[in-house]
Amino acid sequence: MKEGERHFLDGPRLDAFSKVTGRERYAADEYAGEFFWVGAKRALVPHARLFAVHTSRAAAHPGIVRVLTSRDVGGSNRLGIVRNHQPVLVDEVIRHAGDPVALVVARSREALREALALITFDHEPLPGVFDPDEALKEGAPRIHEDNEEGNLVRAVRVRRGDPDEAFRDCDVVVEGVFETPRQEHAYLETETGWAFVDENGELVIIASTQTPYRDRKEIAAALGLGINSVRVIAPYLGGAFGGKDGITVQCLVGLAALNTGGVPVKMWWDRRESFLAGMKRLPARMHYRLGANKDGTFEALSCRLYYDAGPYAGLTGEIMAMGAEHAGSAYRVPNVNIEGYCVHTNNTLGGPFRGFGVPQSTAGMEQVVSMAAGKLGMDPLEIRRINALRAGDRNCVGVELNYSTGFSECIDRLAEHPLWKDREAWKASAPAWKKRGCGVGCMAHAIGYPALIPDEANARVELTQNGAIRVYSGVSDMGQGNAGTYLRIAGEVLNQDPATMEIVQPDTDHDLPSGTSSASRTTYTFGNAVIQAALSLREVILRAGARSLGVEGIDSVEMIPGAVRIKGSTRQMALRDLAAFIDAGSRSCKGHFRTPYDESTLAIMYLGTHVLFSFGAHLARIEVDTLTGRIDVVDYVAVTDAGRVLNRPVYDQQVQGSIAQGIGFAIMEDYVVKDGRHETEDLATYIVPTSLDVPDMVSVAVEPDETTGPFGMKGIGEVVISGCLPAIANALHDACGVRITRLPLTPERVLSALTGKGEKE
Amino acid sequence: MADIRIPSSLDEVFRLLRDVPSTRLFAGGTDVMVRSFPDTLWRESLLCLERVEELRGISESATEVRIGAATTLSELIGSSLIAERFPLLRQAARHIGAPAVRNMGTLGGNICTASPAGDTLPPLYILNAEVELRSLKGTRRMPIGAFITGPGQTQREEGEVLCAVVIGKEQGFDLHHFEKVGQRKAMAISVASLAFAAETRRDGTIVKARCAFGSVAPTVFISRPLNDTFAGNTLNRAVLERVAAMVREGVSPISDIRASMGYRKQVAGNLIMRLEGAGKDR
Amino acid sequence: MKRKITFMLNGSPVAVETDPSRRAVDVLREDLGLTGTKEGCGSGECGACSILVDDVVKLSCIMTAAQLEGRKIVTIEGVGQGGELHPVQRSFVELGAIQCGFCTPGMVVAAVGFLKGNPDPTREEIRAGISGNICRCTGYEKIIDAVEDAAAKIRGGRSGG
Repeated sequence: MKEGERHFLDGPRLDAFSKVTGRERYAADEYAGEFFWVGAKRALVPHARLFAVHTSRAAAHPGIVRVLTSRDVGGSNRLGIVRNHQPVLVDEVIRHAGDPVALVVARSREALREALALITFDHEPLPGVFDPDEALKEGAPRIHEDNEEGNLVRAVRVRRGDPDEAFRDCDVVVEGVFETPRQEHAYLETETGWAFVDENGELVIIASTQTPYRDRKEIAAALGLGINSVRVIAPYLGGAFGGKDGITVQCLVGLAALNTGGVPVKMWWDRRESFLAGMKRLPARMHYRLGANKDGTFEALSCRLYYDAGPYAGLTGEIMAMGAEHAGSAYRVPNVNIEGYCVHTNNTLGGPFRGFGVPQSTAGMEQVVSMAAGKLGMDPLEIRRINALRAGDRNCVGVELNYSTGFSECIDRLAEHPLWKDREAWKASAPAWKKRGCGVGCMAHAIGYPALIPDEANARVELTQNGAIRVYSGVSDMGQGNAGTYLRIAGEVLNQDPATMEIVQPDTDHDLPSGTSSASRTTYTFGNAVIQAALSLREVILRAGARSLGVEGIDSVEMIPGAVRIKGSTRQMALRDLAAFIDAGSRSCKGHFRTPYDESTLAIMYLGTHVLFSFGAHLARIEVDTLTGRIDVVDYVAVTDAGRVLNRPVYDQQVQGSIAQGIGFAIMEDYVVKDGRHETEDLATYIVPTSLDVPDMVSVAVEPDETTGPFGMKGIGEVVISGCLPAIANALHDACGVRITRLPLTPERVLSALTGKGEKE
Repeated sequence: MADIRIPSSLDEVFRLLRDVPSTRLFAGGTDVMVRSFPDTLWRESLLCLERVEELRGISESATEVRIGAATTLSELIGSSLIAERFPLLRQAARHIGAPAVRNMGTLGGNICTASPAGDTLPPLYILNAEVELRSLKGTRRMPIGAFITGPGQTQREEGEVLCAVVIGKEQGFDLHHFEKVGQRKAMAISVASLAFAAETRRDGTIVKARCAFGSVAPTVFISRPLNDTFAGNTLNRAVLERVAAMVREGVSPISDIRASMGYRKQVAGNLIMRLEGAGKDR
Repeated sequence: MKRKITFMLNGSPVAVETDPSRRAVDVLREDLGLTGTKEGCGSGECGACSILVDDVVKLSCIMTAAQLEGRKIVTIEGVGQGGELHPVQRSFVELGAIQCGFCTPGMVVAAVGFLKGNPDPTREEIRAGISGNICRCTGYEKIIDAVEDAAAKIRGGRSGG
């Protein structure tokens, strides 16, 4: 497709109308006739041996249908695709405050609440572990008795060159310890699901989930069902950001549905339960050391990254590995020693959150980079430009960058921006009691899964009996708009108006397994599969059209919106009519795509690495109130390389939303847990940014053509968030000369640093 | 289930309170409903005051302004009388919660909840506001400083309803300043707040001043010696630093999930520094 | 003990028989089938449950059903007029102010209520006007753009409510 000939990629989001009228039905909006409410009894203790659960009083409550415990779980009662060790309902050991010990099925919410209060359980508290350093010590209480490595979930190590030697030769060495916080997704739609056993005996679950296909496997195994007896449907999610990547309500609501004699059940975690039982971003403590030459080139990087996984492995080891893979951000460093440790504690359940381990390590690297610039008296953009990865370079873990690598251009575009150029004048005009600072944060973020895990998608695009084009989406839409983008992509290939097309949201009965809605892959991977399917369908349609119109060869015909037409003529046949001439099997075409990978990277680290990356360069301009310690982010510029932009508003939506979450991560979101007990309980005490807390955001797109991506794009869902914390932390240092180890940079921490500090650094 | 009544007259309120003395009163619900839902509400007897005529409206006499207790914060903010007479009260109300919370929350509710962080309270103390309480036994008035006795504690008796807040019209202040410190810029419970009002001369010298702090003590912190320190001075750095030190000595904040005692103390004093230079060049 | 509660809902009179202490948001969603109004926190913190009560934006998750009596209630389903989108809704669609959409109904209601009182707002005033509605997806940028756009269109005399 030629430049300038885009017809259908632009335009408003196709899901906007139903959402703006309140008509779109999310999983939380399922109510129908008679149904029961399902709720879980949560342990509220961080570590204990469970002896008995007393359910008889609850079961006797008139409004209660059933009370279930681990004894009622027919299958393995275990979740987890890496380590299958998380219980659906606790049978032996409680490992975090949100662990469920019983499940209540009730006729009303009031009865549910009353019954949950009537459940008690006998337990013996076990010594808890609440800090990764403590957890790794010899003799620390073991959270999983069968784990031969104590409380270690996973460790990775990447070593290149000779870092010890290189550090000795460096002109300048900087180091720092950085602690990034536990972040809560706080999606507006909390975890929710609706389940029933249909007339065929199939367990049907409608859930707010990013992973319907993987869920199905886990549900079947955990509950003891055949995989073909489980159907999972994923409507539009009311936000997820990684927090619904995996099992949340599905097994609980499924278990309940198996025990109601056919009556549907609904589970909807209120905000408190979502906080207690849901996943959180892994907090991390990182020890960084960077050595550079006088001319600013990086010579050596050594870092140790400790990620707090919480009680169950989930995807925590993989999160840490991704953080380790990105530990050097977007720079060339020839000598590295990267050590990553993912460690069990009895704190909150660690899980995916936009960035998947990368915002943590980027926060460390980007701060030592700015520290090195400071020590060398060098401009923070200049030092980054000098070391920026270019196509053909090897990144910190030794992977050659053979795909689009527009990082340098990001830096150049940032350097040209007026907000960068006029920063000194801006800083100099700070009002009374305020100090102004500017900070840079850059980043890389990989697309898709690492080498060991096939990143595949299977799309189906069909011409329906009625002549409409229908796309079967295998990838959940959690708000990023990929469902609509699939229609636009198919529309572009088929020259059909997406507004006339249909989408079928993920449904394990109808769509094809296509991996998860995560990993910045949802448009890149599935979009490519859609293109393949659409191309196949186009050929089928043109062939049938040529035949029907009585011309020879598909080159004499073309697709136009709603019809096939003979080129250069007005003779056409409506798709509506053409559909009748094509058999059902032929007018449904599949497409497949696998994201590029490099098997040789398996030798580098656990899971291998990625080969394709998006990049970014950010500027944060902040004002620090020296009387209160509060940081105001006044301006924010994000320059991004995510390949070609398919649809500008959809692209900028990701940039802007990421910046807001990044600002929250940097200055106000601090989920507090003390000795395994959640002190943060709800949205009154977990502070997310309101509209008054974020600035107008500038989004600049650098658009190298990623030839492997649909219409030249790469993923943009995660790359942006990693820049925010370091940009703001670097800006704080620029404004006040302080660098704070423990993030977020709350007013209290900032004021403490300002009043406690002696000389400027 | 809970029984809930929404009377339209005070007589009806008193009758209901007499019948069920343990009835829980609320107006906007922005405190009571948040704290009670979902656990305890189911069993309580509830009485909503939002439609009681006698509790609504803002009126003035020759000497006083009378604000009905069920006046919402939005109505308070939108009143030109309040804007003209008591800009500090208006300013404080504007910083509470967010629009919908202000549409529902009431002045009476903010007072009766008596949170140490109630944002309308410091201005009300500075204005020497009085609360008017009515019951079947009659009416009584008292200064707000006497009405609120501790966190969540007031002098309101069983069967009594807070009807109005009465504030003298002639306050004599020409300089007002309010600042609230929270964890974010909206929907934030105050971590420390300062309300300040002064009568000044043309050159910025203070004739009289009153300042009151929120969230740094069990109730609003207001101190005569502190206020007297301003008199005769301009708001220059030296005076303010002296006042700030006195403030840090005088407040008694707690540590909680929002902020530590140390931070609150430090910031309370710092907020005074923001006054530097105010009052001059007018 | 159930009670009959009658009120105007999206332009039409309606009556529900229910426990009056139930939350208004539950009555709307469960009894009346209007699932457009969402619940995000149950404690008045997020604004997802925003509705108009006599043209004033309120939080239905901290309102009892009893408080609906005799009021004029407008939910997201009733913001448009005669099958047409409200200018705020149209601007939200056109300017890309919707991502996951879960905050959208409350946000639209809040914007509609805000513009009634402030038809010519600055961006900063718009920020304040929607400051009680949490959005986790958009960073608010395009929502503010949309409200600004809608305000201009409404002032320009475009019809639609």
